[in-house]
Amino acid sequence: MTRPILTSLMVLWATSAFAHSPLNATVPANEAIVAEVPSEIVLGFKGNIRLTRVAMTHAVHEADLDLDGFSGFISEYTIPMQSMGAGTYQIEWRGLGDDGHPMSGTFSFTVQE
Amino acid sequence: MTSTGTVFVALLFQVENIRRLTVVFAMLALIATIIGFSLGGAALTGDMGGMTDPEMLGLLWSTPVGTALAYRLVGLALLILGLMLGRSGLWVSAIGGGLALWSFASVGHIPDRDIFWLDGLLLIHLAAIAVWIGILTPLKRLANISTAKAAADLGHRFGRMAVVFVPLLILAGLVMSYVLVGSIASLVGTGYGQALIVKVAVVVVLLGLAALNKLRFVPKLMNGDAHAAQHLSRSISFEWVAVIIILLTTAVLTSALTLPS
Ligand SMILES: [Cu+2]
Repeated sequence: MTRPILTSLMVLWATSAFAHSPLNATVPANEAIVAEVPSEIVLGFKGNIRLTRVAMTHAVHEADLDLDGFSGFISEYTIPMQSMGAGTYQIEWRGLGDDGHPMSGTFSFTVQE
Repeated sequence: MTSTGTVFVALLFQVENIRRLTVVFAMLALIATIIGFSLGGAALTGDMGGMTDPEMLGLLWSTPVGTALAYRLVGLALLILGLMLGRSGLWVSAIGGGLALWSFASVGHIPDRDIFWLDGLLLIHLAAIAVWIGILTPLKRLANISTAKAAADLGHRFGRMAVVFVPLLILAGLVMSYVLVGSIASLVGTGYGQALIVKVAVVVVLLGLAALNKLRFVPKLMNGDAHAAQHLSRSISFEWVAVIIILLTTAVLTSALTLPS
């Protein structure tokens, strides 16, 4: 009788933690179309968060952005990024809220030819 | 939760032979706690490697989630230790159980951590729930024909106590809901409020079952009605289902849904 409870609680714990939507705004904005590849992206959060992973996908390439310069829980991240040319960039971020809840989200923008 | 409840029940009603069961529950709780914590690490990196990543786990440890983990681990360890000590260790177990319950008060989305009485209320709420859950297994075990007398006795004593603590449980729940939700509009209009309505509905079903047990099956059992044992046992199974639904809804409430602000 306990096993189903524990398993479902664990599954819930693992999935439900993503339900916050704490992202205020990004630069470039979600689904924006920009003329050239930005040298950095900005993620602004409603509360303090510690980003733990930011992955960038462009066509077939995938790379993690460098978060080494950051420490502690802050609400605004300006992260340098390298150009991969025109096309759509998908950014997937993961982080920890200061209440201890893991959070994650994605946004994308397109660089015109 | 279940193991804490069983220990409380053991203390309150002097139920024997629950040690093995309680240890099993406590061990499961320990394992689930640790797995849950490392799943948090996996959520941070997006792959299973995060489950053992020292940097990620260290980060989690520095938040209220880490504090809760510490309370829960120490609490469960004390609980198990107390059980090893035999009857005199029951109090150690009870303190450990209390600590493990307290750990639930330090996570979740209760917004203003300064409201101390709200924490107290939550602890009462949790303890009452623990006792309730704790009684189910021993009672169901006793509810067969050969031990019907003992089941009736335990059920009767539990029923008498429930008259006091169930209203307390409901009152604590109501006050917390009011503080957290604030208005009828956000009760009906937000996901949080709606989940709360679902939870309360299942609680009503559970209360109905409990009332049925207390007012019908337990008295019948005391009068030596052979069918009553079966009915009581089945009713307890339904209570388990209700309890699981309530715990799941609560898990959603405390972690997935944000409070209406
Ligand atoms: Cu949170």
